[in-house]
Amino acid sequence: MLTINNLHARVEDTPILKGLNLEIGPGEVHAIMGPNGSGKSTLASVLAGREDYEVTAGSVDFDGTDLLELDASDRAREGLFLAFQYPVEIPGVSNLNFMKAAVNAKREHQGLEPIAAKDFLAMVKEKSALVELDGRLRDRSVNEGFSGGEKKRNEIFQMAMLEPKLAVLDETDSGLDIDALRIVSEGVNAMRNAGRSFLVITHYQRLLDHIVPDFVHVLSDGQIVKSGPKELALELEAKGYDWIKEPVA
Amino acid sequence: MAGANDIATQKAQDFVAGLTGSGTTGLSALAEAGRAALADLPVPTRKSERWKYSPITAMLASPVKVAPAPQAWPENVPTNPVPGLDAYRVVLVNGHVVPEACDLPVADGVVCMAMSQAVAAGLIGAGDEDWTGYHSREWIGAVNAAHAQDGLYLSLESGTSLDRPVVVHHHVTGQDVASCPRHRILLGANSQAEVVLWTSAAEGTSGMVNGVLEGRVGPGARLGVDKVQHEHGVLFHLAHEHVTQDKDSTFRIHTVTVKGHWVRNELNVLQQGSGAHTIMHGAYLPKGNEHVDNHTTMDHTVPHCTSSELYKGILYGTSTGVFNGKVFVREDAQLTNAYQQNANIVADAGASINAKPELEIYADDVKCSHGCTVGQFDEEALFYLKSRGIGDRAARALMVQAFIGDVLEGFGSEEVATEVEELLAARHSWM
Repeated sequence: MLTINNLHARVEDTPILKGLNLEIGPGEVHAIMGPNGSGKSTLASVLAGREDYEVTAGSVDFDGTDLLELDASDRAREGLFLAFQYPVEIPGVSNLNFMKAAVNAKREHQGLEPIAAKDFLAMVKEKSALVELDGRLRDRSVNEGFSGGEKKRNEIFQMAMLEPKLAVLDETDSGLDIDALRIVSEGVNAMRNAGRSFLVITHYQRLLDHIVPDFVHVLSDGQIVKSGPKELALELEAKGYDWIKEPVA
Repeated sequence: MAGANDIATQKAQDFVAGLTGSGTTGLSALAEAGRAALADLPVPTRKSERWKYSPITAMLASPVKVAPAPQAWPENVPTNPVPGLDAYRVVLVNGHVVPEACDLPVADGVVCMAMSQAVAAGLIGAGDEDWTGYHSREWIGAVNAAHAQDGLYLSLESGTSLDRPVVVHHHVTGQDVASCPRHRILLGANSQAEVVLWTSAAEGTSGMVNGVLEGRVGPGARLGVDKVQHEHGVLFHLAHEHVTQDKDSTFRIHTVTVKGHWVRNELNVLQQGSGAHTIMHGAYLPKGNEHVDNHTTMDHTVPHCTSSELYKGILYGTSTGVFNGKVFVREDAQLTNAYQQNANIVADAGASINAKPELEIYADDVKCSHGCTVGQFDEEALFYLKSRGIGDRAARALMVQAFIGDVLEGFGSEEVATEVEELLAARHSWM
């Protein structure tokens, strides 16, 4: 599904990713953990196509497509989804119009007709129920006046609407209370299937109690320095990151 | 510098001399007063604060002439510019009313006709030819007075209301054409009217539109105006509206410049009866090297009145914009609630906006708020939209529609709002 090979990226003159390798198969859930400043959010941004980041070396293959050749909107149409750490408020753009435009952009890319109004509303109803997003929030401007938890639920709602092949969750647990964490996680788990992969970026292990990964990777100074089964997350929680910071030779 | 001034004055004199042909409204006393004032009033230059950012030098250099005779309505232009809008119509070509293309209301208590007809019918008495003295204060106003052509005359008796809006469609066509329309709207107590002021210009048109609208909104009356400018060619459009409001009246105007080479809208509202309410909304989206100027004056002179002003602009290319919003709260205007907001997005590096809110408050128990912003598109929001698969152009369109949405919301007619949105979408390739 996703093959990252020797990825180097920088912001302005500061190198952040320094030779990152990662392989994610269909249906797999991978977690990336790591201390602040290790490059976790940079990885998410580079994958989503944020233009502030410059890829200086390496390649990213996304289901047979050279991801780095595409702009952000084409990446999304190809089936990549980024759940933002800090979802953006867009006053005046209704959440539903936004989603309709997004769904139709993807459908156009697939050579399909725009979705019928009735089908769209049925889809909204079904997907918003997944994350208990009520009508009031659906109909408002995008994220405007939403609480932290509501914004994150809205991210997962959007993910459900767009049915991506690969979803990157960038610190989706940050700012969530325990109930919101449960709701968001259940939404994600409901979407797990054999064809859909997830890359879960988190600082804390607690999210991984809810979204149980197949693999855990530790990112440090722009490289993956350790990979292991889900138990690795518990070990990190107990011991911290210090014991692992040096790359294994 | 005296030399430069002399040259400017000489140019202005040549410009006026070239206009030729006096007006056709029959407002002869006004025309005479206008001609006299032209000799005395200073020609607007950049040295005057009011004209600093909207110089008319280029207009003065063009050999414009007042169209001498009425023309037929051009076949390829719909008389009603708003598809689906069920409305009465007063239509003008180059400042002349085209009677056979008009559709006027006939109802008790309603007088709606061409200004020239109203003058001929003796509806405008001597000494009543002008309500505002604009021609005695501004050179541009004197030009209009001296050459005033035709326009809408609408008068409603107390308690009457129009069952449909009146569309005043002024179409300009030809080269170096000067049009000086003059409109008057007089609403009696508790009457109601909606008016659409629409200016269009054919491709290749050049010249000047110098229009004046005088309005009086009687006690408890309601006047709504949807004003749209959609002009091809190279036109210098100067529009001056002056509306006086009585007790408990409501005046609403939405001004949208869809397209125009050089536009200056002057909107003056005077509240002289308590309990009056004014809504002034506007949007401008110039591109290329277009210029749009909105000068507004809200004058609160009596207690217990409100005003709400919201202007939004998006400036593309190397276009320039001006917003100058003056709010007076006179000493007696206690308990005034005045709101003014002007927000701008400078979409391209070559574009610019000169924005100036001006508040003069002499009463002590009032609520006045104002704000003015100038910014760029929110790149973070654009990325968010794009990250969901929405293309760059569509993402910008969503942001633009969101930005000006609250201005477009309050139009008197849904059909006008829809047409304006479609024209904007076509012009800026939002589809």
